[in-house]
Amino acid sequence: MTTQRTIELPQPNMESGNMLVNIGPQHPATHGVLRLLCELDGETVIKIDPDIGYLHSSFEKLGEYRTWNQIIPLTDRMDYLAPLMYNCVYVMAVEKLMGLEVTERCKIVRVLCMEMERIFSHLLWLGTTAIDVGAFTPFLYAFQERERIYKLHEAFTGARITTSATRVGGMMADLPEGWTDQLKDFVYTFPDTLDEIENLLTRNGIHLGRTQGIGCIPADEAINAGFTGPNLRASGVDYDLRKDRPYYDYESYEFDVPVGTKGDCYDRYLVRMEEMRQSLKILDQALARLPDGRINVDDPRVSLPSKTDCMNDMESMIHHFKIVTEGIRVPPGDCYFAVEGSKGELGMYVVSDGGEKPIRWRVRPPSFVNLSVLPQLAEGHQVSDLIMINASLDIVLGEIDR
Amino acid sequence: MPISTKIMERPEAVETSYLRAALKGMKITLKHMLNPKKVTQQYPEVETRLHPRWRGTHRMEVHADGRPKCVACGLCPTVCPANCIRLVGGEDDQGNRYPVVYEIDEFRCIFCGMCQEVCPVEAIHVGQDFENAEYTRERFVYDLDRLMNQDHPTTLLWDPADPLSE
Ligand code: SF4
Ligand code: SF4
Repeated sequence: MTTQRTIELPQPNMESGNMLVNIGPQHPATHGVLRLLCELDGETVIKIDPDIGYLHSSFEKLGEYRTWNQIIPLTDRMDYLAPLMYNCVYVMAVEKLMGLEVTERCKIVRVLCMEMERIFSHLLWLGTTAIDVGAFTPFLYAFQERERIYKLHEAFTGARITTSATRVGGMMADLPEGWTDQLKDFVYTFPDTLDEIENLLTRNGIHLGRTQGIGCIPADEAINAGFTGPNLRASGVDYDLRKDRPYYDYESYEFDVPVGTKGDCYDRYLVRMEEMRQSLKILDQALARLPDGRINVDDPRVSLPSKTDCMNDMESMIHHFKIVTEGIRVPPGDCYFAVEGSKGELGMYVVSDGGEKPIRWRVRPPSFVNLSVLPQLAEGHQVSDLIMINASLDIVLGEIDR
Repeated sequence: MPISTKIMERPEAVETSYLRAALKGMKITLKHMLNPKKVTQQYPEVETRLHPRWRGTHRMEVHADGRPKCVACGLCPTVCPANCIRLVGGEDDQGNRYPVVYEIDEFRCIFCGMCQEVCPVEAIHVGQDFENAEYTRERFVYDLDRLMNQDHPTTLLWDPADPLSE
């Protein structure tokens, strides 16, 4: 039996003479298809209701009708600002559930991918946030650098955003020739651009005026709100999954975890700028460690035989058909795996009943949690600060709505 | 401990005039104006170079005698996450299987490349092409003839001649 239910949107109290302003859903400053219902008293924000769901694609439900490997293309559409990171986390969760140990080379390649994506995502954040406070130039410089990472994506995976580059047990393909040199070149030259952007923003009076003391959240409140990632660290809590719950040998890399002191927009800016530099450090170390050898595991449960084998050898051919038509079988159970994503703790929870499809797939979305604090942060600020606060939280709507 | 915590220093809020801040920024942007390095792509006039691994419009490989290489095994419609391949298999008088109908809806396709990854006879390929705009939706459903007559190079992602990606 189906029952009909009307969902009522919260209505602001209009009797006080306040004004209701609708920002979004189609507004460039909301960084996606986000609608903010604002109750304003003149220029001052009294109350905000973020209204989400305009980008809802029911990825999690779709995933229940896809085999384990077919879900991978869904993950990169979730956060199109750091696609490879989502690809990696998902397969890492499935591998954990299967008890599958990937090869050393694959581990390092995934570390490379994830740190590259951190820079990729922070650069977009940097550019768009700078635009929101009226600085157009950093946007152009940031996007020039992003273009280089797009090129790296394209060279490695064959697509610029929709990478779908991982497979359970490895990657879709090994790194192409010359890719590491290209990445090295990026690692060595990118700091110049970063310095330039810092020159433009870090001590710029206009930027300071727009960000310092705006949207402060103290450490205890940030923890209560469920903040993770750069937003939490800006409030002075040095919580970083790479340090506190290391995966993929992160504990053996040498890098700093930047933390802020006040937890305002400016601290969030400082922390992200430093994180990009630290990611470069990790990239540099990982590139030096990159071993030769196989990238995909040699495990008959997950790995496809090579095409040459497939054409010459009946056994391999049958194996190939079995894996493709039946899909990978994951033992029954559930597992949660989280990494330090570019926007916070990014976790994947998968439940298997032993079949070729998950019976539940759930994402722990950092942006969603970060957005939930926006009403609290923006209350009492001006409308123009609301835009800045919203930008400084670094949200991506694809992942919020899923 | 190789991982340490770094507390970010905040510069004191200095009272600067906005004009000076703007001029300082101007100095950096002007330097860029004189930089001879050009980054804008003049796309329609100058053709973009795609990377050899680009996953784009499909192409069906053909035998020397003009038959499609596809053996209608049904793996690609099974693996396709977007369910956009329609295949009806048949058998000719020598017992060879061939596709009677093979259609790819390029509109639904998400260019993941999994069809090429699983094809056991290397028949279907994604290719290095992206300029496939059309005026009607129907035109996006590529039938077998159209797939066989594509002439762009195919992707090198799963190229058996390239040992790195095998
Ligand atoms: S590229 Fe992916 S979505 Fe497109 S036809 Fe092949 S398997 Fe289907
Ligand atoms: S996988 Fe290859 S051989 Fe099999 S149906 Fe698809 S194109 Fe034909």
